[in-house]
Amino acid sequence: MSKNRKISLTEEELVLALRNREKIAADALYDMYSSSLFGVISRIITDTATAEDVLQETFIKIWNSFSSYSTEKGRLFTWMVNIARNLSIDKVRSKDFKNQNKNHELENNVTFIDEQRNTVYKPELLGVKDLVEQLKPEQKIILKLVYFKGYTHVEVAEELDVPLGTVKTRLRMAIIQLRKYFN
Amino acid sequence: MKVEDVKAYIETGILELYVLGDLSPAEKLQVEEMAEKYPSIKTELAEIERALEAYALENEVEPPTELRNRVLNSLVTTFADDGKFPGREFLENDDDDEADEETPLRDNIVSISTARENNFYKYAFAASMAALIASIAALFSLNSRLNESQQQIASLQTRNQVFANRVNLLDNEVTVFHDPAIKLIKLQGTPKSPASKMMVAWNPVKKKVMIDMRAMNLAKNDQAHQYQLWAIVDGKPVDLGVFDAKADTTDGMHEMKPVANAAAFAVTLEPRGGSVAPTMSEMVVIASI
Repeated sequence: MSKNRKISLTEEELVLALRNREKIAADALYDMYSSSLFGVISRIITDTATAEDVLQETFIKIWNSFSSYSTEKGRLFTWMVNIARNLSIDKVRSKDFKNQNKNHELENNVTFIDEQRNTVYKPELLGVKDLVEQLKPEQKIILKLVYFKGYTHVEVAEELDVPLGTVKTRLRMAIIQLRKYFN
Repeated sequence: MKVEDVKAYIETGILELYVLGDLSPAEKLQVEEMAEKYPSIKTELAEIERALEAYALENEVEPPTELRNRVLNSLVTTFADDGKFPGREFLENDDDDEADEETPLRDNIVSISTARENNFYKYAFAASMAALIASIAALFSLNSRLNESQQQIASLQTRNQVFANRVNLLDNEVTVFHDPAIKLIKLQGTPKSPASKMMVAWNPVKKKVMIDMRAMNLAKNDQAHQYQLWAIVDGKPVDLGVFDAKADTTDGMHEMKPVANAAAFAVTLEPRGGSVAPTMSEMVVIASI
């Protein structure tokens, strides 16, 4: 399976096709976003089978509730990743899941996943990993907790025992660092 | 809001939380309103979104290959319209062999089940139409037969009435002739009309006079004239009523005016309605007792 044979559409084309509920839209949606979404899901949920189930649930929810997405309110990926993150958090916090899984230590978890899985690197993104690693440790931990653990900023403040304002500022600074590279 | 205030709003970090979906519905709405008003906020939001999307892309984890079909199949069951399936084009783009085999199979199943459903309604409709037509035909047939039967009943009732009347009539006639006092008088034709003749039944006890319409042989009278029956009582003619001579008659005995003692009976042709005195020249039949 070579990557360049995957279906890829512009975001505009994809949104239109999804609205028309075309088969090709489902395929393109999966090919374009499954890895990014799975990156978030599998960092929140360490159990592989459960993470795969949640990825499936995520696509079903995206597909079925697509009418509630509006391009006015932002990018398609932002909307989708929030669905993926919310479904993942719901799963992790459900009673069943808590009973069958030991909670790993948060920080270790992120690096544990990255070591365990084949993280995909894109040539155009080479060096980004380094950039993220160069973030100040207090920025990096907040970004990871919020983005890859689904913590709210209030929970982060409690977890790290720092004021809410500080959490928000550090998060903003971390994202500004990312923007310097991407935008 | 001044430019500095907008800048301060951006710097609170609320826009980052908005993109991360970490705001209450009210706060979310506020950010959306602000973005609508201030292009700088909208731009800021777009940059945050792009940065986080790239961040996710940089951290992506490819799911297992077999998951693709599982996920897509779970979406396929919710496709609104299979008419929107792209055909060849979609298959050529598909890099997964399993999907290549599975998609046409799925299309086949859909088309067969659709055809089956169509056939069912087609046959059901045809059957309904046939039943409807048969019912209408049966209804018309029954209705015409019912009308026919009703006509037959009406006709039978009429005939029954006719027979009943006839039986009554004959019964009366028989009663008349069973009385021993009855006298049957045969009136013979006069020289004026020698072929004419008729029968008069007279019961002197009951003073009853009847003429036999069937045994009558008189020339048919016209519209201006009628035959008049007379009885000769004490040498004088007494009017016993008028009658018509018809070519064919179903009438039997016709009762005339009563008379107790008559010496003779005679019939004359008189103007319609009868005369006070008989016109002797127009006498057609006569009989003495």
